[in-house]
Amino acid sequence: MNISAALDFLWDYRLALSIGLGNTLYFTAFGLAFGLAIGFLVSVVRQAGHPVLKVIATTYVEIFRGTPVLIQLFWFFFCLPALLGMELGNVFSTVLTLSLYMGAISSESFRAALKSIGTEQRDACIALGLPARVSVPYVMLPQTVLRAVPTLLSNCVTLFKESALVSAVGMADLMYQGQMIADATARPIEILTATALIYFIIAFSVTRIVSFYERGYLARMRL
Amino acid sequence: MSSFLNVQGLRKSFGGHLVVLDDINFQMEAGERVVIIGPSGSGKSTLLRCVMGLEKIDKGRIELEGARYIEANPKSKKDNFVDIPVRNKVGMVFQHYTLFPHLTVLGNLILAPMRARGESRSSATERAMQLLDRLGLKSKAGAFPGMLSGGQKQRVAIARALLLDPKIMLFDEVTSALDPELVTEVEGVMLELAEQKMSMMIVTHDMWFAKRIATRVIFSADGRIIEDAPPAKMFTNPSEPRTADFLKKVLHVETIS
Repeated sequence: MNISAALDFLWDYRLALSIGLGNTLYFTAFGLAFGLAIGFLVSVVRQAGHPVLKVIATTYVEIFRGTPVLIQLFWFFFCLPALLGMELGNVFSTVLTLSLYMGAISSESFRAALKSIGTEQRDACIALGLPARVSVPYVMLPQTVLRAVPTLLSNCVTLFKESALVSAVGMADLMYQGQMIADATARPIEILTATALIYFIIAFSVTRIVSFYERGYLARMRL
Repeated sequence: MSSFLNVQGLRKSFGGHLVVLDDINFQMEAGERVVIIGPSGSGKSTLLRCVMGLEKIDKGRIELEGARYIEANPKSKKDNFVDIPVRNKVGMVFQHYTLFPHLTVLGNLILAPMRARGESRSSATERAMQLLDRLGLKSKAGAFPGMLSGGQKQRVAIARALLLDPKIMLFDEVTSALDPELVTEVEGVMLELAEQKMSMMIVTHDMWFAKRIATRVIFSADGRIIEDAPPAKMFTNPSEPRTADFLKKVLHVETIS
């Protein structure tokens, strides 16, 4: 295969691929923002909430971790609107599904970090006479976030890659655009390889940031 | 009689049946240095934790300078009565340092004075730096705890507690996790505090150090105080056969004279 011809061919489709990448980043960003908020709240509820809330939170997490994202997408695209008898909008359904999925996986990361702080730090706070209004924001929260960052970043990578599934419900993300171009031009080798590379470059960069952070910050603090 | 520290009828169990401390009555005067020795699981550390207010107690009350600050609350299954301002006069250092790993040494020291006691940053920093200087840790003020040796960490933990001007300091096996060559630097700080007449309760397995720092030694076993004597008597001529047995076991290769 002629490399420069392949690159020329890809260059012709740069706009379509860029739009796809933009949409992928858009869905991922909203999924992350809402998902992390949901995940943190759910982890706090599971740690210290009312028993009924705990059961609800745990059920939610287990369902979303225990079913394929593809089915979740289909369900929120087709079943939920049918059950409610109203249109939800494709973008809304997409972001809703990705947020709930991210909430479920990130709540586990937050929960592990909360647990790892342990009772010794609590003892130290009491011995120093720190009331909750000091110990929560200055001792517990920073340590939870610092410890959760590596797993949360890999949760983000997971969400970014899983978001390719939204192409199956017709959302024009990077995967969808790649597939469309491949079908229309009958040149899947160039286009699908390029699409994969784009995903890889972004995911790999984030993974590198994680290990940099783990070796730098976390090692320095021996967290 | 109102003692400096007064523990009355203290009972502590885990889950209601595993009784760790049973009807402990204990008084000490200001400036005393009470070392508690005894076999593992005899409730030594739990006693310190109760005095600090870290454990829920089943029965009894604890007073400092005549002010009741912890009392079992029979009506509530959950909490003791706690007078926090009085409890805050008690300082404690733990076996595993319990420094805040995300804060620098200086940050560890000034957090409580600034955020819980309303001291200004500049004043807290100034006092912290003076104290660190005295303990030979001034150059470590900007370091994170993870970069320090065990002995340095423990000295920082002591400094952090001292900066709150406690009336009494509790030391719970503070050298047990240290490499042997680091023990003396921590014990040195404690001996310095002793010279300044700091009131202390110390749990340790180091009988040499116990003999050196104590004004009084308590031998506890099975959740009770078996013997309470000055170090000279405790280590040479204990009254109770159980004390003698214990000392014979832990001192089998050493001789304390």
